[in-house]
Amino acid sequence: MALLSLLLITLGGLLFFHRRLLRYFRFFQQEEYDSVRFMAWLRANRALDRRGSAVALVAGGLSLWVRSDWASVLALAGALALVILAVREEDPRKTGKIRLNLTPRARRIQRVAFLLYGAALLPAALLCHWLLGVRAPVGLWAIHLVLVQAPPLTLMGAAALLAPGEKRRQEAFRQDARRILTELAPFVIGITGSYGKTSTKGILRELLQQGLGPTFCPPRSINTVMGITRQIRENLRREHRWAVIEMGAYRRGSIQRLCALTPPRAAIVTTVGIMHLERFGDPEDVYQAKSELPQALPPEGILVLNGDNPGTRRMAREHPKGTTLLFGLDPALGDLDCWISDARTTPDGTVFSLHWRGATYPVTTRLLGRAALANLLAAFTMACALGAEPRYLVAVMANLEPESNRLELVREGEHRVLRDGYNSNPAGFEAALEVLAELPANRRILVTPGMIELGDRQAEENRRMAGLAAQVCDRILLVGETNRAAWLEGLDQAGYPEDQRLVLDHRDEALHRVGGEARPEDLILIENDLPDVYEARPSF
Amino acid sequence: MSREGEGRRTRVAVIFGGRSVEHEISIITALQLIRALDTERYDPIPVYIAQSGRWYTGPALLEKAVYLALPGSLSGLTEVVLLPRPGVPGLTPAAPPVRRWWRTDRTGPAVIPVDVYFPALHGSLGEDGCIQGLLEMAGAAYTGCSVGPAALGMDKWSCKRLVREEGIDVLPDAVVHREDARRDLEDARRRVRKTPGLEEGPLFVKPCALGSSVGIRAVRTDAELEAALAQVFRFDLRALVEPLVEEITEINVSVRGRRPALASVVETPLADGRLLSYEEKYMSRGGKKAPTGSEGMAGLARRIDPEELDGKSKDQARSRAVRIYELLGAAGVARIDFILDRSTGRLYFNEINTLPGSLAFYLWTRSDPPLLYTELLHEIIQEALAHRAERLSLEQDFGFRALKG
Repeated sequence: MALLSLLLITLGGLLFFHRRLLRYFRFFQQEEYDSVRFMAWLRANRALDRRGSAVALVAGGLSLWVRSDWASVLALAGALALVILAVREEDPRKTGKIRLNLTPRARRIQRVAFLLYGAALLPAALLCHWLLGVRAPVGLWAIHLVLVQAPPLTLMGAAALLAPGEKRRQEAFRQDARRILTELAPFVIGITGSYGKTSTKGILRELLQQGLGPTFCPPRSINTVMGITRQIRENLRREHRWAVIEMGAYRRGSIQRLCALTPPRAAIVTTVGIMHLERFGDPEDVYQAKSELPQALPPEGILVLNGDNPGTRRMAREHPKGTTLLFGLDPALGDLDCWISDARTTPDGTVFSLHWRGATYPVTTRLLGRAALANLLAAFTMACALGAEPRYLVAVMANLEPESNRLELVREGEHRVLRDGYNSNPAGFEAALEVLAELPANRRILVTPGMIELGDRQAEENRRMAGLAAQVCDRILLVGETNRAAWLEGLDQAGYPEDQRLVLDHRDEALHRVGGEARPEDLILIENDLPDVYEARPSF
Repeated sequence: MSREGEGRRTRVAVIFGGRSVEHEISIITALQLIRALDTERYDPIPVYIAQSGRWYTGPALLEKAVYLALPGSLSGLTEVVLLPRPGVPGLTPAAPPVRRWWRTDRTGPAVIPVDVYFPALHGSLGEDGCIQGLLEMAGAAYTGCSVGPAALGMDKWSCKRLVREEGIDVLPDAVVHREDARRDLEDARRRVRKTPGLEEGPLFVKPCALGSSVGIRAVRTDAELEAALAQVFRFDLRALVEPLVEEITEINVSVRGRRPALASVVETPLADGRLLSYEEKYMSRGGKKAPTGSEGMAGLARRIDPEELDGKSKDQARSRAVRIYELLGAAGVARIDFILDRSTGRLYFNEINTLPGSLAFYLWTRSDPPLLYTELLHEIIQEALAHRAERLSLEQDFGFRALKG
């Protein structure tokens, strides 16, 4: 009977482990299988198991007190409880904004993690059986108190065990990509910056592809060595004359490693700002990490920098290259090679005059907001520096569509919605508010959970943004708890009337409310609408 | 191809998909076509050219599900190739059979037998002579136009000139090459405006050699013209610019058959004279967005044999359409599109589609006498088989006279 109990508990534990492993795995994968980062995440989210431990404690504790023949009933009940918990665990392969993708590498880690768990569990179960005899279930529950915490440990252990093999594999892929790149030799343009990288990359890709020739460009926000290695191996072709590579500066040395893989001959640095501060911690680090890109350029390289941003201006002074060009919207900080004037926001897009090399071009674009315009200027400057005809680029720009959820203006029935759901940074938020203010509208309504990933400046920045929003919006809907306090403080400080505020818990509720209350020609700004901003801290 | 015995159905390989912007429309045309084939006479074999350019076949292709699950769903299909040489009775599987030690067949991969190929590809590589060239080299029977007429039909610029030579009205035009525009867009624009007939007024810009409505725009200002040219050059190396006919009625006619060629009833695709965009042309069903998938051109709001159109224009369109079809040497079913300028009453040839969406069957079902889709397909396939017999009867003179002497 005791044996049966042990078996039940073991099976329940295994299923529980399997489902828990998947859940932790999603976050492990987001941290790129880096144990240091994963442990930081575990600490930050206090991601210890509670539910499984509760089952083990109750079942084990009761088993101590009851007669041994009741112990098997308790074992069954406990095992069932574990099974129920397991089945109710969400499946990160199917839900969530960033899903778990069981790549071949992920599967290898999963298998080894299971092996580790089995290697701990089976001897423990056997020992319990031999040493504790009839009281064995109690022992096994006690062991499970520890084992329910196992999933993150087995993940890290598995990754560590597989690390040498993975390293070899990755190194082989990297060598392969290096070889392909050297043989096909496209002209590489690197792009980095605290924000605007992906948008600038997308625009530059279109300008080069349409204005000069076939252009290679990894899709979405792929900006790591591993991601770019894979893209090169799978998609780089002989015909590609240009390669636009987004480079993510995750820490000092990130960009250096990327430039070793894809040595750039030209570079754009969009901004040096305060995004993702929790990764860097120190603004000087942010600057230095991004400076690795201009440093990697050859002396005759082409460097395009944002003239509106003090950080990139400093880069122009400290790392000048053969051709150093500055773009910007605001000549106040100094000379610009490419700038705009007479910008007007209309429901069809932005109309402005673009100044470049002594000529002025009238431009119409569907893109909205100064952030988007800055990205446009960055790409335009680079494309011209590479030899494209400015006038042709202006025609191409007239056809560009805004990316989904980046200040995308859509009509919904009688009102309009400005969708700016993609991760918001302070500059982007300000730009969105500016657009909101400039477009004609009956009422201006804001729906937002605030901004995230701003380290210890998050509260301050959200308060500040609340103050700005108060000047523009007729109504503000605050969603979720994350930044609620900061926003309410900011709105109070700005003297924003209480009856114009609405505080809600859930995004869907907010969108439903706002849609229902909308009057004709209202303009609704949906800012930073990422589901993961709303995702509650995961509980285990 | 000789039939091995009475009662065997003719195996028709319907080729669709393809590397063109009209890939999706081609799938719709093909599935519709396969459903309409007379299954007592014909045995349809779906052959899908994926966006990678690889050819696949398999029964799953008859269901929409496989297209919505691409590219993963391709693994359940058989990859095939059409070898560009005669003597192969069909499609050759691409992958060698998996060798197992207990299997002893050494005869090589089994060819999937095909009696006649039915290209149902729209746009580049399918409607422009490319696949026809492959089929000729394979010595296969195939439906529709041969290489020359197909290529000519796709090239709006050349086709208009041929038609104009015949004395049929065409709109004035200017062609712009991408290289020239990239180098000096302003100059390209000025040269367009210097073209007789295009000096002023709104213009109409389109890709020279694509079907559908991708990249087509009406423009009124210089900036719009330049932007429209840039848009065309995303898809094609040449842009065609014509004057915009403000009071426009589009008149389409379908033509089929050889000696004599017959014209169908006419249709006007839209009552109020606006030109159709890609979305309007293919994603509507009576003006509303189709809930799931679409019926292609068959689903569009259209006026077939409209009463409000005068008989003279209808007759003119039909007779000119037949002349143009014969002029090109076309085969199979084509749809010829005209533009009627209501302010002058002049009828201009616009373009010919040698493989029209849904094979314009909806025009033949309303013609006099009416022709059902099933019958239409039967005629097209029989025409293809007869045509191949004709070609086979031509001598090919191989002799090594120059080398020997």
